[in-house]
Amino acid sequence: MAKGDNGVRCFQGLLVLGNVIIGLCGIALTAECIFFVSDQQTLYPLLEATNNDDIYGAAWIGIFVGFALFNLAVLGIVGVIKSNRAMLLAYIILMLITYAFETASCITAATHRDFFTRNLFLKQMLEKYQNPEPLNNDDKWMSEGVTRTWDRLMLQHECCGVNGPSDWQNYMSKFRNINSDSEFPWPRQCCVMNVQGIPVNLDGCKLGVSGYYNDKGCYELIAGPMDRHAWGVAWFGFAILCWTFWVLLCTMFYWSRIEY
Amino acid sequence: MWSCWLVPAFCWLVHLCVAQSLRPQIASPQLATNNPTFTTIALEKPFCVFDGSLSPGKSYEVYLYAMMDSMSMISSAVTDNSSKPLDSTFQEVNGGQLGPYKAAVLNVPDCASPPKLADIRNVKKASDVLKQYLFRVGDDVSCLYDPNFLGVCNPPLASDTTYRFKYILVDETLGIMKDETLWSDPIKTNSVKKSSTIDTWPGRRSGGMIVITSILSVLIFLLLAGLFASVFFAITGSEDSATTETRHISQTVQQVAPRPQASSDRADQ
Repeated sequence: MAKGDNGVRCFQGLLVLGNVIIGLCGIALTAECIFFVSDQQTLYPLLEATNNDDIYGAAWIGIFVGFALFNLAVLGIVGVIKSNRAMLLAYIILMLITYAFETASCITAATHRDFFTRNLFLKQMLEKYQNPEPLNNDDKWMSEGVTRTWDRLMLQHECCGVNGPSDWQNYMSKFRNINSDSEFPWPRQCCVMNVQGIPVNLDGCKLGVSGYYNDKGCYELIAGPMDRHAWGVAWFGFAILCWTFWVLLCTMFYWSRIEY
Repeated sequence: MWSCWLVPAFCWLVHLCVAQSLRPQIASPQLATNNPTFTTIALEKPFCVFDGSLSPGKSYEVYLYAMMDSMSMISSAVTDNSSKPLDSTFQEVNGGQLGPYKAAVLNVPDCASPPKLADIRNVKKASDVLKQYLFRVGDDVSCLYDPNFLGVCNPPLASDTTYRFKYILVDETLGIMKDETLWSDPIKTNSVKKSSTIDTWPGRRSGGMIVITSILSVLIFLLLAGLFASVFFAITGSEDSATTETRHISQTVQQVAPRPQASSDRADQ
């Protein structure tokens, strides 16, 4: 390229810098999505039972997209420095495909985050917690997952129900079908336990005497990690895509200006 | 008529509290927050209510009767003609539909030293405080189905139903009723809502989702447009450079062709 060698070098430098940032962001995206997929709070069974677990799908896509971004960034750097048309064309096409996947991941995570309401988890808890007669194997798997997760949540975080123990008193549930209201106004895990895992005062727990039952709801403990997961995938991906957009446009411009 | 059971400070003016003007009260809502439930109702025990009728040297018991509150005329008598308390059970009166049933036999609560409700915070004393202060109607889930059960059965109540309760003082040795309270105000057990009535639709979309979707869609469109534009410019640009090259080649061919003639001319000379 004869015109303004300095200008060309500057432009190449900018493109290389852009690709370096894309590569680093790709690694960060992969790491973040691996963290979310590993599900530290083990809340996945709750999402699985709502048939609304697409934020995990978005995170899985994010893992592979991040890795692809890193590799393509390396390809882009080499292609720009060598001004190789074939390499840069391959870079552009593959980047566009990766861009499309990442867009899908971001939109999915943002959309499905909107479905996480209190009522969603409340209905699922009432219909699946300690379900004695699941309809089929799938329902059995989901019910067991929900039961296990809720038991652990209630014991670990000393909370009860989604909004509070009143959830068990306001609605019919599968739990209520087999456990009489008189003996189990709410699950035993809602009672304050001593170190052996036995309720401190069972009558106090059944009557709702404060100090002998957990009156806090568990919703914040469920929604908090899930919100962070969904927003992390959606907004970080969005930021990467905004940057990648400019780098890609400039690369297309550069590619169209290379002479054989 | 004044009721002296509204607060956990129990009735000091024992002699002014006449049982016939008092009614059983529901247990203090500050203490027992889960009351009434679908199938249980917890009542305060009758502290200092019957003290005017107690004679020293005799043993007394308190019987609790429960019945459904109904619009139709049903017999609400708890004693027969000779003041003997009725021995009706839950099954006999169809759960309180046909008349009162005996739900419990209690000791006369100690008026001189009532349980201090503040002691409920003390883990060791909590059980005692609860046992002395209140009685939970509907507590026993197994007595209906247990053929060996011999005591007074207190099975769970029906949900979404109004009940009324009455305490009577019974002389143990003579087996006759000495005193009684009025029927309590109607107390209703909770009704249930089906879980299918819960609406899980999230409502409107959040702002973040709309921003992400719209901006990313526009960016994808621009990228595809940019791709097509650059391919188009690349193709038209290569056609221009191809025509200039062919002209360049034809000029060099013409320059090369005349020279061999000039050299052959010199060779001839």
